[in-house]
Amino acid sequence: MATLDKVDAVIVGAGAAGAVFAAVLARAGKQVVLIEQGPDWQLSDLISSDIWARRLRGSGPPIRYEGRHPVGRTGDHGWGTGGAALHYSANFPRLLPADFNMKSAHGRGLDWPISYADVAPYYDRIAREIGISGDAKAEERWRPPGEPYPMPPLKTFRHGEVWVPGFRSVGITVAPGAVGVNSTEYKGRAACIHDGWCGAGCPTGALANPQATLLGEARAKGAQVRAMSYVTRVLTDAGGARVTGVEYYDADKQRQVQDAHVVVLAAFASQNPRLLFNSATDKHPNGLANASGLVGKYMMAHAGATVSAIFDEDLQNYLGSFGYQFVSYDLHPKTSRKAAFGSTFWNTGAAQKPTDARGIANVRPDLFGKELDEFLVGKARGLARITAICEELPSADNRIELSSEKDEFGFPLVRLIHSFQADAIGLFDAAIAEGVEIAKGAGAKEIWPGRAIGPQHLLGGTVMGKSANDSVVDSFGQTHELANLYVAGCGIFPTESSANPTFTLNALSLRGAEQLVANWSSIAI
Amino acid sequence: MEQMERRAFMKGAATGALAFAVGGVEVMLTPGAARAQGVPLRTLTAAQAATLDALGETLVPGARQAGISHFVDQQVSNPAEEALLEARILNVRPPYATFYRAALGAVDRASQALNNGRGFAQLSEAEQRSFVDSMRQNKVDGWQGPAGGFVYLLLRSDAVDVVYGTMEGYAALGIPYMPHIAPTQRW
Repeated sequence: MATLDKVDAVIVGAGAAGAVFAAVLARAGKQVVLIEQGPDWQLSDLISSDIWARRLRGSGPPIRYEGRHPVGRTGDHGWGTGGAALHYSANFPRLLPADFNMKSAHGRGLDWPISYADVAPYYDRIAREIGISGDAKAEERWRPPGEPYPMPPLKTFRHGEVWVPGFRSVGITVAPGAVGVNSTEYKGRAACIHDGWCGAGCPTGALANPQATLLGEARAKGAQVRAMSYVTRVLTDAGGARVTGVEYYDADKQRQVQDAHVVVLAAFASQNPRLLFNSATDKHPNGLANASGLVGKYMMAHAGATVSAIFDEDLQNYLGSFGYQFVSYDLHPKTSRKAAFGSTFWNTGAAQKPTDARGIANVRPDLFGKELDEFLVGKARGLARITAICEELPSADNRIELSSEKDEFGFPLVRLIHSFQADAIGLFDAAIAEGVEIAKGAGAKEIWPGRAIGPQHLLGGTVMGKSANDSVVDSFGQTHELANLYVAGCGIFPTESSANPTFTLNALSLRGAEQLVANWSSIAI
Repeated sequence: MEQMERRAFMKGAATGALAFAVGGVEVMLTPGAARAQGVPLRTLTAAQAATLDALGETLVPGARQAGISHFVDQQVSNPAEEALLEARILNVRPPYATFYRAALGAVDRASQALNNGRGFAQLSEAEQRSFVDSMRQNKVDGWQGPAGGFVYLLLRSDAVDVVYGTMEGYAALGIPYMPHIAPTQRW
């Protein structure tokens, strides 16, 4: 075992949130080490193949998935530098003002300790930092005004356009979706060429993955990445008042201790609670930052509702990006549905490939043999789909706990228990019914509503709030109990809205990292 | 990951082939070529491979010739974090070989119980199809093992991968492959 020279900051996890912290700290001249459990992927590793792309997806210490709706390793789990943002859809919807005060306004869910106005400037800055294509004016029918996106919306294709009359037929307005994909050359990065390989990782730089954006910048400014290194604990001083670094096992399975003035946990919503629990001491018997007992609580997923349909034309559904083309916040108001509370976000237009969990072959999982062949060869060219992301309210019953199983180094693994409550199920059912009507209105020849409620995204577990009585961290991600311990990522969201989380986690990370730098002398003593 | 292992791994990714052991020497082959050359299996038994071949062919015509058994055998013989299997996305708990053994064993045990001792590979095409349709719906009498519907989903994904996940497969579907970084051996 070695204790390594003390650095300014150690960041656990080199995904989207870790990359933001690393870039901001490196810009400020801080010595930064990112510890990443997976490989250190380069853009040249990103082969255009769904099958090879599985190397980039969730791996590492297993999680026991339980509950009526186990979340599992969805597409938002990553493995290696870049995390899930290395191969994501780069859908960049933002939260709306009503997402921040649900408890006060409706007596449901939780309030954020901040408002939309606190985050809005960071949305605009992230858009410039990493490059977002979209139409802010069109979005402003649903949200307060902000800055224009730095690039115009991406080109649209028939498999998205074909749905627009259908949305109109049920009274839903759509607008171009904001995506982290270059519609034009931006900051020296290429424009997208619309061949739909974002899900395998984009080696051209058109997709705003961390390697092409902030992780790349952080490294250029001196941040060091230690790949294939598995963090087991955050270490604290004898008094339990401050963290002193992390313990990890390196690529050779050797135990190391990296001392640091500040520790940032950016190891995704599923792993940050494990680290806090396993770092328990006599001063923090229930785990670090867990005086509230809320570490691991309020895990949330989105209820994804998909309706697929066949149209009587070749829609060239393999073209475009992995992200959406059109979106609608019309059903964002929390009381939009009569039977269920919460927001719904419609979107459409992601490119499709034949294989993989969300591939064309799985649109009709009931087909096999020659019928599957006939579907893939004969009909799939007219296939398109729409997706509604439905909000789940935070519930303390949805949680991460330590498991009786141990990792290879003898530390407990975790269980993730998750069940959708009545509101999320009600929103899902309403979206499926509505989606069928949209498909009819669009002139679809055959319609297949997705019957199974599909958990998407994973949030919560280290939620933000006003004090250690009601939350784990403050609005900057700084833990209430240990000033030099931060948590970054979508684990700190107290509610999830119906939006893909990446834009907001980037904005919150930028806000948190800049607060850390601004107060460095008092935090990193 | 050891540096040597990583270099070999990335070499495979760059060429699009997988690493198979032939005569004690590691060579890069597509699963279909490995099958055609009779490359020895590393983890699956011959009986398990025969069952997997028959299941794959029932699920997606062409899966046998595309080398589904050699594909799965090669993948379950590697460390889980290097796997290219859909099992990784579908939350199968490593080691993946354990799941495949359990799944294939369940298929053959149920087939034998229902068909006078005949394993799945010995059934007629019509019988195989009927069995798979029941397995898909979790309706195989006396089934013991991982849920039949999940076995169906996973093996169907493997069969789709080897038949349609390749550049050849895309061409058969009339879908332009349009790679940024091409897998050079149609994989």
